[in-house]
Amino acid sequence: MSTSNPVTAVKLVLLGEAAVGKSSLVLRFVSNDFQENKEPTIGAAFLTQRCTIGAKTIKFEIWDTAGQERFASLAPMYYRNAQAALVVYDVTKPASFIKARHWIRELHEQAAPNIIIALCGNKYDLIEGEIEGEDAKRKVSVEEGQKVAEEEGLLFFETSAKSGHNVNEVFMAIGHKIPEKRSETERSAGDAAREADRVDLSNVVNDTQADGWVENGQICLKYSALYDDEAGRESMGGWYFPGNITQED
Amino acid sequence: MSFFEAIRSKAAQLSLFDKPNTTVLSKDEVFQKEFSLPALETIVDEISAEVCVIPPASKDTQGNNQFYQGKLYLTPKFLVFRDVYDRKMCLFALHLSTVKKLERVPTRSYVFALSVKTYSGFSFVIQFIGIRSHSEQFSHALKVKLKENLVNIKQLRPFVETLYSEYLVAKSLAASTGAPATGTRPGHTPGVLPGLANVVHPPGGLGLEFKYPGDAKALRDKSKMRFWFGYFRANGRHLALTRVPLFYKLVRVGVPNRLRGEIWELCCGSMYVRFKNPGVYQGLLNKYKDQESLAIEEIEKDLNRSLPEYPAYQSPEGINRLRRVLTAYSWRNPDIGYCQAMNILVAALLIYMSEEQAFWCLNIICEKQVPGYYSKTMYGTLLDQKVFESLVEKTMPMLAEHISRYDIQLSVVSLPWFLSLYLSSMPLVYAFRIVDVFMLQGPRTLFQVALAVLRINGEQLLESDDDGAFILILKEYFLTLDQSAHPNSPNEKYRSVTKFQELLVVAFKEFANISDEMISQQRDRHRDKVFEGVENFVKRTQIRNLPKTKNLAQAQLSNIYSRFYGVQSHAVDIGDDGGSLMDYYAFTELMAGIAPWGSVDHSLPLNRKDFMHRLFSTWDCENRGGLSLADVAVGLNRLVEPDLMANLSNFFAMYEKDGKVDRDGMLQMSEDLLFVTAPWRDGLVLDRITQKAIESAMADKIVELKKSSVGEFVMPSQVDVDRQKIEQAQTERYLSAASGFIQRAFEYAQPEIVEAAGEADLIDLGEVTDNTNALDKKNFSDEALVRLRANAALDPDHPVSLNLPTFRMVILADETYELLFSESFAHSIDIDTPISSSDKSNRNLRDMFDGLLADGKRVANEVRRRMDDASKAETSDTKESRPRSQTNEDDEDYAFGPNDNDKDLLNGAEVEGLNDVPLDGRGQSISELKHDMNLTERIDSKNADLIEFEL
Repeated sequence: MSTSNPVTAVKLVLLGEAAVGKSSLVLRFVSNDFQENKEPTIGAAFLTQRCTIGAKTIKFEIWDTAGQERFASLAPMYYRNAQAALVVYDVTKPASFIKARHWIRELHEQAAPNIIIALCGNKYDLIEGEIEGEDAKRKVSVEEGQKVAEEEGLLFFETSAKSGHNVNEVFMAIGHKIPEKRSETERSAGDAAREADRVDLSNVVNDTQADGWVENGQICLKYSALYDDEAGRESMGGWYFPGNITQED
Repeated sequence: MSFFEAIRSKAAQLSLFDKPNTTVLSKDEVFQKEFSLPALETIVDEISAEVCVIPPASKDTQGNNQFYQGKLYLTPKFLVFRDVYDRKMCLFALHLSTVKKLERVPTRSYVFALSVKTYSGFSFVIQFIGIRSHSEQFSHALKVKLKENLVNIKQLRPFVETLYSEYLVAKSLAASTGAPATGTRPGHTPGVLPGLANVVHPPGGLGLEFKYPGDAKALRDKSKMRFWFGYFRANGRHLALTRVPLFYKLVRVGVPNRLRGEIWELCCGSMYVRFKNPGVYQGLLNKYKDQESLAIEEIEKDLNRSLPEYPAYQSPEGINRLRRVLTAYSWRNPDIGYCQAMNILVAALLIYMSEEQAFWCLNIICEKQVPGYYSKTMYGTLLDQKVFESLVEKTMPMLAEHISRYDIQLSVVSLPWFLSLYLSSMPLVYAFRIVDVFMLQGPRTLFQVALAVLRINGEQLLESDDDGAFILILKEYFLTLDQSAHPNSPNEKYRSVTKFQELLVVAFKEFANISDEMISQQRDRHRDKVFEGVENFVKRTQIRNLPKTKNLAQAQLSNIYSRFYGVQSHAVDIGDDGGSLMDYYAFTELMAGIAPWGSVDHSLPLNRKDFMHRLFSTWDCENRGGLSLADVAVGLNRLVEPDLMANLSNFFAMYEKDGKVDRDGMLQMSEDLLFVTAPWRDGLVLDRITQKAIESAMADKIVELKKSSVGEFVMPSQVDVDRQKIEQAQTERYLSAASGFIQRAFEYAQPEIVEAAGEADLIDLGEVTDNTNALDKKNFSDEALVRLRANAALDPDHPVSLNLPTFRMVILADETYELLFSESFAHSIDIDTPISSSDKSNRNLRDMFDGLLADGKRVANEVRRRMDDASKAETSDTKESRPRSQTNEDDEDYAFGPNDNDKDLLNGAEVEGLNDVPLDGRGQSISELKHDMNLTERIDSKNADLIEFEL
C-alpha cells in the first residue's frame, strides 16, 4: 500500500458563480497561464496537476464546473466523491459571495462529510492597492470572507488568476490538509462507505495492526481504518463492527 | 441576489413538467415531426398517389422521369408526399405558396391526375390511386387550400431573396441565357421568380466576411457546390425541394459553406417557421430595445467567450449579431432565457446563417430537437444522459460493466458533447459535419456519434478506471480526428481514412439502428426518475434558502413546499424576479388544506377586509399582490408561534395602525375571531379544555364499568360519553368568548383624545337608553351580536381605540381565547401531513365524534339560542358597564388580570348578583360553565385512577 513515493489522488471540484474565474484559477495552477476571454465551461472541464508537498506527491484531479445558475442541478454529479472543493467568488461582485455561501451549505449538506473546502475571493488584481472608499471596486471585504471561512471551518484566500497571487497557495493548503493515508485505492469517505463490503480486509489487518483485530473469527476494524472521518467516527462510537462484511479470499 | 431568484424561478419551471408528457404522439404530431413542419400543419386529407417530378429543363413529360408510389397529404399550407417503399426514395413538403398553377391532366376516364406547377417552373404530376370520389374530394380540398393561401403568395418573393440556392440558380441561369442583370422582362427567365434575374447576393453568415472555418479546398467545397446546383435544378429547392436519396448523401458528405445555413434551416424545419413569421425577429428586437433582464446580464458575460478564436467574434460585428440573436431569443422564450452553451451554438450558426435564420433555427433546436436541454433545470440534458447510459448498456455491455464496476460517471464525460452539439468538444470543422447530420435526422445523431466515440476508443477506455481518465483519452481522440484511423496499415486506401471518417461510418452504419422510437422509449423510461432528482435538488436548495423559521421543522418546510407548488399548478403567477407567486385564490386553497378555518366560500362577495384577505396581505410583505414560498413559510411560522404574547402581538399587528386599532378595526377583529373559531364553535375541532373534559368523562365511564364488572376486566374499545353535553360546553365557551371580547374591547378601549370627555358621556347616555328600549321590546334577533357591534360602530362622534396592552388584557380575560392564542390556533394548523394524505385532516378525536356532523342541525339551533341569550346578556352588560365600572374598579383590575381562569366565573357571578336586568342567558351559561369546571375537577382526580388502571 505505502510505497517510497506515494501518490495521493485528490478529487477537487470548483464551484462558484459564472465568470468569477474558476477556469482561470485552474488554468493558472495547471499551466501557469491566463486568458482574458475563456470560453464558458460547458458541464465541466477536467484537468490534472501533480505537486509535491513535503514527502508526499499529490495528484489533483480537478473538476472545473460551469457557473451558470441552471447548471447547479448538475453539480452533484461533479462534487460526488470529491475530497476537496474550491468555492470561488469575485471580490468585486457581492452576489457571487452570496452564491459562494450557498455552495458551502450545499457541500456541507450533500458532499462527503470530511470534504476540505477552500473559499477563494478571486480577481484580487482588480482591487490590489485600492484604497477603501465609496466607489472602491472591492465589494466583499477580507473580513467578510474570513468570517464565513471561520464559521464554516474553511480555508480562505484572496486570489488572482491573472497575477497568480495566492493561486498555488490555495492548492498547497488543500494538499496539506489531505490526510496522508488516502491513496488511489481509498479515494474518499464516500467511496469507502459504498465499497465497505468490498474492502480487502486481510490487507487492512496486516497493514495496520493497530486498526483491526480478529475476534471470534470475525474481523473487526477500527472505524478509522475505513473512514478517515471525524464525524463518522463519532457517530459510530469510534468502531466499526463489520457484521455484514465477509472476508474475501 | 440572483441566485435566490433564479432558484425560485427554477421551481416555477418545475410546474412545466409536473406531468411529463409521454411520447404517445398524435398522428398529426408524428407527421409534423417526420416532415419538420410547424405545429399548425395538421392533415386535412390524405390519399394514395403516384407522383412524377418534372424539372423545368426536361420538356418531355413522363419521358425518363421516375414515378413514385406513396402517400400524399394535404395540410393548410403544404402538399406533402412520401413514397411508400422506404420513405427515402422521394419525399417532399411543398409549400402552397410556391404553387403557381394547378390543373387537371387530360387522361383516360378511369385515371384522375393533377399537374402542379411551381413558380420555378417545376411541375409534379399526381396520379391518384383509389376510388374516384376520394380523388375528387382531395383535389377539391387542395383547390380550397390554395385559394386560402393566395394572400401569402406575395411573401414568397422577399423570402426567396434571402436564400442562397435561389441566388445560385438565378445567377447561373442569368449567365447562361445572357439575360441582362436588370431583368426588364420579368417572368421570361425560366425557372426563376420574375424580377429575380437582377441577382443580389442574399444576406448570409459571418463566414461571407470573415471566412469559413477550415480549408475550403480540402473540404472540396466547390465540387460539393456543383452537386448541389445540379440537385436544385433537378429536384427543386427550399420550400419546393424534393428529397431523393442523393439529398441525404449530399448532406452527409458535408454541406458547402455558403449553402450550409439554408440546408440547416430546411432540414430542421426552421425555414418554414421563418417564412411564416416575417419580421418577428426584428419586431422582438425593437419591442425590447434597451430593456434589461437577468438573461441579458448572463448573455453579456459570455459574448466575448463564444468561439473567441473565430475572427468575427473578435470584432463588434460578430459580437453584435450574437448579442441580438441571443437576446431576441431570451425575450421570445423567457422560460429558457439564456443557457450557457447556447452562446456557442448561436456563434456557430451565425457563421453560416443570417441573424434571422439563426434565430429561428435556435428556436427549433431548443424546442423541438433537444427539448429541455437549455431549460432552467436542464432536465432534458440530464434525461438524455440517462438515455445515453442505458444505450451504452444495451450496445456495449462489456464497457458498461467496466463503467459500473469502477463507479465511473459516464455523464460527466458525455454531457458537454450533447449540450453543445459537439461544438465545444471537436474541432469546429468536424463538429459542423455532425451538425449537418443532426439537422437532417434529429437528436438520435448525438447518440449515434457518442456511442461511436466510445466504441472506437473502447479498448483504451477499458484500461482506465476513472471518469477523469475517460475525459483525457477522449479529449486526445477529438483533437486527432484529422489523423489516419489506420496509420500502420499497409493498404494506402486504409491509411488515408481519417479518424473522423471512421467515426461517421461507425456512428451511422454500426449504430444505424438507434432510432427515434428507441430514444423516445428510453426517455419515457427514465423521465420520472430524472424529474424526481431535479425536483429534489430544487426543493432542497429552495428550502435551504428560505428565511429562518424557528417554529417549522425541516419536514414541515418540505410539506409547505409541496403544498405551495401543489396549488401553484392551479394558479401560477410569475413575479418580476421570475419566482412563483401565489395569488389570493391559491392562498385560500393552500390554507383550506392545512387549517380547519381556512376554507373560504368563494361564492360570497369578496370582502377585502376579512380575515383571509388580511392574512394574505399581511404575508405579502413586499406588496406584490402575491405570496412567494418564503412569504408563506414566514407567515405560517408566525401562525404556529408557541409564545402567547408573541401571538397576541402578531394578531394585533394585523389590525393596528400607529399602534392602535380603531372602532372599525375592533369590529373587524371580533368578526374575524368569530370566523376563525368557527371550527371549534361547530365542534369540528376540540380544544384542550374540551379534550380534558372528554378524557375525564371517559375515565368516569371506565371506572364505572370496572366497578360493575366481575372477574377480569377487558378494556372497552369504545366508551360512550355524553358528547352532546361536552360539545355544548365548547360551543358555549366560544360564544361567550366572542361576546365577551366585543364587550370588553369597547369597554376598555381608550377614548380618542380629540373628543371632549363630557360630550362623550352625554352621547353615551343616549345610547344606553336606546339599548334599553331595544331590550324592553325583547326584540333581539339572531344577529343581536352584530347589532350590538353595529351600535357601537354607529357612534362616530365617540371614537375609541384599542392599544396592544388593552388588547392583550381583553384576550387574556377569557380562558377560551387565551387558550386559542396560546395553543388552539397554532395546533389547528396542520403542516405535518404530507399533501397526498391531506384528506385525513386534523380531527384528533374524530372517530369518537363521528356522529357530530349528523347532529349539526341540532347544534346549530343550540348555537342560535345561546347566541340570542348571550347577546342579550352582553347588551345589558354594555348598558350597565359605565356605572358598574365606577363601583367595581378594583374588582375589574383584578378580574381582567391575565391567566385567571376563575375570572369568568367571578365576573359572571358578580353580574348575576349585582344586576336586576334579567340575565337568564348569560347566567345560565355561566352556571353551566361552573358546573363543567367542577366536573373537570372531579374527573381530574379520577384521572389518576385511569392511569393506574392502564398501567
